[in-house]
Amino acid sequence: MSETKSTHALEVRGLVKKFGNRTVLNDISFNLKRGEILVIMGGSGCGKSTLLRHLIGVLKPNEGEIHVLGTDITKLDDDGLAKVRRRFAMMHQFGALLNSLTVGQNVALPLLESGNVSESIADLVVKLKLELVGLTGFEHLKPSEISGGMRKRVGMARALALDPELLFCDEPTSGLDPVMTAVIDQLTLDMVHKLGITAVVVTHDMTSAFRIANKMIMLFEGQIIAQGSPDEIRNNPDPRLQQFIKGEADGPIPLKLSRDDYIKRLLSVD
Amino acid sequence: MLLAYTSLTLRAFASIGRSLSGRSTLRVHATFVQMVNVGVNSLPTVGLACLFMGLVLAMQSAGQLAQLGATERVADLVSFAMLREIGPLITAVVVIGRSGSSITAELGTMKVSEEIEALEVMAIDPVRYLVVPRLLAMVIMMPCLTIIGEALGLFGGWLLGVNSLSLDPLLYITRSLQAVDLKDLYTGLFKSLVFGFLIGSIACTYGMEVRDGAEGVGRNTTRSVVSCLLAMLGMDAILTAIFFFAT
Repeated sequence: MSETKSTHALEVRGLVKKFGNRTVLNDISFNLKRGEILVIMGGSGCGKSTLLRHLIGVLKPNEGEIHVLGTDITKLDDDGLAKVRRRFAMMHQFGALLNSLTVGQNVALPLLESGNVSESIADLVVKLKLELVGLTGFEHLKPSEISGGMRKRVGMARALALDPELLFCDEPTSGLDPVMTAVIDQLTLDMVHKLGITAVVVTHDMTSAFRIANKMIMLFEGQIIAQGSPDEIRNNPDPRLQQFIKGEADGPIPLKLSRDDYIKRLLSVD
Repeated sequence: MLLAYTSLTLRAFASIGRSLSGRSTLRVHATFVQMVNVGVNSLPTVGLACLFMGLVLAMQSAGQLAQLGATERVADLVSFAMLREIGPLITAVVVIGRSGSSITAELGTMKVSEEIEALEVMAIDPVRYLVVPRLLAMVIMMPCLTIIGEALGLFGGWLLGVNSLSLDPLLYITRSLQAVDLKDLYTGLFKSLVFGFLIGSIACTYGMEVRDGAEGVGRNTTRSVVSCLLAMLGMDAILTAIFFFAT
């Protein structure tokens, strides 16, 4: 295990991922200092989720290194990866709650499974974390009995249960109302500013992205086309980036086939 | 799939080994919950299936034995067949259809809804958390179900023998006990223990290997049931050969 005392919570170098002949991530390199919030942006299918799954060790790259909290996770076995994973947490896009457990049991799960926490302490922490995401009193409901947005917030509470050093969030505000979006954004900012954790957020929501980010990355067709501070991103002249930020239908991001390609595709026989 | 099966089974053994050596904890409560799911809740179905099989065995054999003038030997045949073969077999078939399929579908649904990935990312080993309790529950409950099923199967034979064949109730029981020895009982129970391990490990493997959403859950559940049945019948032939044929 190559653990180094790094000021970076996350360092990715030359990451390449191929599924068959298709390259979905091509030479991705970036780093993130401790105590910062990184927002990863990009259109659907640009490789954002694939990149995130590499950062949490679910997928292994074909090439490159991923240093999470000072350890290159691409070279770790299951036990080594579990050690690093105890230091970070992930908020999944749809919560990924265990449907057989209640909301409270889901939040308590990482605490109780860590083996260091008694049930009474876990109960207290569950109440505290659910209070943070505005779900006090929902402990005894099953995930199937609450809305999608609520499940997402329970996922956030569960991710925060063990006070991680590094928090990964996949689309944390999609499907939430504007007030709850602001609450989740403020919560992320509070975690970073008050507790000193580092956050990596994948999002489409530009308002939310510019509200929380210290650093931003724009992915396009598996490559980073821009990275920098929110101001640098806002002033970046790349038309693909500007189209994405402004949410315009017309621009260089190909949404439709060209007329010739459309006719060719329509008349072709596979 | 064979590679996945071997890998998952070895990981389950390693996890149990770590629990026994005190390096991790066994999920005792979850194991009891699964014992209720796969065992206690299967009891009515297993009991009825074995009772009917006892009746059927008695009816089928009565005609043949009557031609030989040995109707009273129905008791011998039912108890012999029930302890050695029919009890463990029928119990396994019911458990495969009821609990094996449910384990695959449950784990498969957890896989497609990212619950298993979420466990891994929380540094919770899904094999320890999900597979080991189900596997242990299956191994513990199969012999328990089998012995109750066998008792009800014998009762089915007795019911038919006493009511339709006019055999003496006490004589029927005496003949049943004389026809079998302890080896017939414990070989049957050993078979059921092995069947329990096969059903648990195969059902968990197919569940953990689900791909492609809801379609994959359905596909793997079917494959799980078919594989469990074939593996169980194949193992039955091997164990029967070892216990009664080769020796």
